[in-house]
Amino acid sequence: METRKKLLEIKNLKQYFNVGKPNEVRAVDGISFDIYEGETLGLVGESGCGKSTTGRTIIRLYDATDGEVLYDGVNVHGKKSKEELKAFNHKMQMIFQDPYASLNPRMKVSDVIAEGIDIHGLAKTKEDRMNKVYELLETVGLNKEHANRYPHEFSGGQRQRIGIARALAVDPDFIIADEPISALDVSIQAQVVNLMKKLQKEKGLTYLFIAHDLSMVKYISDRIGVMYFGKLVELAPADELYNNPKHPYTQSLLSAIPLPDPISERSRKRKTYDPKMHNYQADESVELREVSPGHFVLCSEKEFEQYKK
Amino acid sequence: MSKILEVNNLNISFHTFAGEVKAIRGANFHLNKGETLAIVGESGSGKSVTTKAIMRLLPESNSEIKEGEILFDGKDLTKLSDKQMQTIRGKEISMIFQDPMTSLNPTMTVGKQIMEPIIKHQNMSKSAAKQRAIELLKLVGIPMAEERFKQYPHQFSGGMRQRVVIAIALACNPKILIADEPTTALDVTIQAQILELMKDLQKKIDTSIIFITHDLGVVANVADRVAVMYGGKIIEIGTVDEIFYNPQHPYTWGLISSMPDLDTAEDELYAIPGSPPDLLNPPKGDAFAPRNEYAMKIDLEQEPPMFKVSDTHYAATWLLHPDAPKVEPPAAVMKRREMYPSYNNK
Repeated sequence: METRKKLLEIKNLKQYFNVGKPNEVRAVDGISFDIYEGETLGLVGESGCGKSTTGRTIIRLYDATDGEVLYDGVNVHGKKSKEELKAFNHKMQMIFQDPYASLNPRMKVSDVIAEGIDIHGLAKTKEDRMNKVYELLETVGLNKEHANRYPHEFSGGQRQRIGIARALAVDPDFIIADEPISALDVSIQAQVVNLMKKLQKEKGLTYLFIAHDLSMVKYISDRIGVMYFGKLVELAPADELYNNPKHPYTQSLLSAIPLPDPISERSRKRKTYDPKMHNYQADESVELREVSPGHFVLCSEKEFEQYKK
Repeated sequence: MSKILEVNNLNISFHTFAGEVKAIRGANFHLNKGETLAIVGESGSGKSVTTKAIMRLLPESNSEIKEGEILFDGKDLTKLSDKQMQTIRGKEISMIFQDPMTSLNPTMTVGKQIMEPIIKHQNMSKSAAKQRAIELLKLVGIPMAEERFKQYPHQFSGGMRQRVVIAIALACNPKILIADEPTTALDVTIQAQILELMKDLQKKIDTSIIFITHDLGVVANVADRVAVMYGGKIIEIGTVDEIFYNPQHPYTWGLISSMPDLDTAEDELYAIPGSPPDLLNPPKGDAFAPRNEYAMKIDLEQEPPMFKVSDTHYAATWLLHPDAPKVEPPAAVMKRREMYPSYNNK
């Protein structure tokens, strides 16, 4: 893993809302992790834990309160000229959760997909532009005839394919997928996940996959980060996280997922998590520590010794 | 076990500008006393329409029950007058809706909303109803019930609101509780709490539950029996073990294989190709045939009847016909069969 190239480095990223007001929210409170080239990093946690905000801050939909996001060694945030921003948007794209809300209902599918192509001037002629659109539609499993239709003529799964085609239009290296399948039916979810995996293989994409469906995340991700109240509490390779969860919150989260297996469901024992159980002292430094190679847990020095065993 | 609800040959249509949408096309099932029946299927398969028909909550302006009966305690609910229905809805049969954010009235205190059905159906005085409402809040696990009683829905979190909705549904000790995706809008940890609560309450007050969901994990957790719906029909019904370990219908195979469990490591997930049928013009023959890789010629011509697999397990697929060729289900289904060898011999 050390030999792999870090595509993205997130260092002590903070995103506060309503700073200085009584209703200040620390949505993301100092998280650090790396994303390697070509991998899928899953980010899970309950709603309000800051996983979507993390994704949105990384792609600069929000300006970070503090911390750095280094993409290929270059900071994403901070003052940037229009050209610099464009170059950056070229590499990073996003797929949104709700395929009904994320496509402009007044634009034809071809224009939705080609918007990025137009902005970045990737097509020389009109014909070239349409050819690119057709190609993208085919890549995501739709066909040419769909280009002249409007979003309302499509089902949820098809719309999400359009959203994926739009993200691919500028040939990005890195895609943030914010719950791309949670609004879809089970039978359609598998189609979209397969498509995303196929595209990753063909184009060498890197994904940040945000979701709360843990079995799907496990399936698609190489590594998984678990967030709780704006903090990353555990980060580990997918199998390691599921087989050997260390942080009590991760354990509680895993014990809450119902599996499609009636026999194991009958004997399910759910663990509950109470942040007070750590009983951290004021002088203890609680940080992300590596308990085994590639497996990080948010813990104090004392817990660290326990987790290492 | 005695049947508390029986749905026979239910046919429901919606009249739209584009024509008649045949949303339910001959659904048959029953609910036993004290059990939990899960209805699964993708959106548009008719799960919600079926349960709304039981509650008579379908819009009268454009929907129509074309055929069939819904027998509850020997009475056919489709024949009752609106007045008679009012004495059943909320009292004998009550419902929990999907979205706790929208199914509560934001302008009424939570307590008042729980008291409503109690006063309406049980002729209790206001003060007695209040006592009962506070009891219910405690029953569904809301701390500081006396103070919470006076609060408005926006002061509750999603999981707490769903508890309030459950308290309202349980206010009159209904015989049947219909839960329409009650946990879909909730987080996994909260979902687990709500499921535990529902199972616990079912034991305490002895209701029968119809549980609609598309999450097979939830089904495995709560259900005694499972009905799989597709294209407005029940295409497979059986005990939860039979459906999960020995499914017969190719659609059920697809559903089960397309959900990765935590051990799935295959390169590609099994995905059911295509999209659900257009019920404006339901296809001839088996509605699933166009998406079914196991489809035979007869599937395109004639609808399969329900074939019996065991006393409790029925499936509508021509593959069960004695003359049908033997086919191998997808790997994920085979793996499940091996997990439960006692079903293999049948």
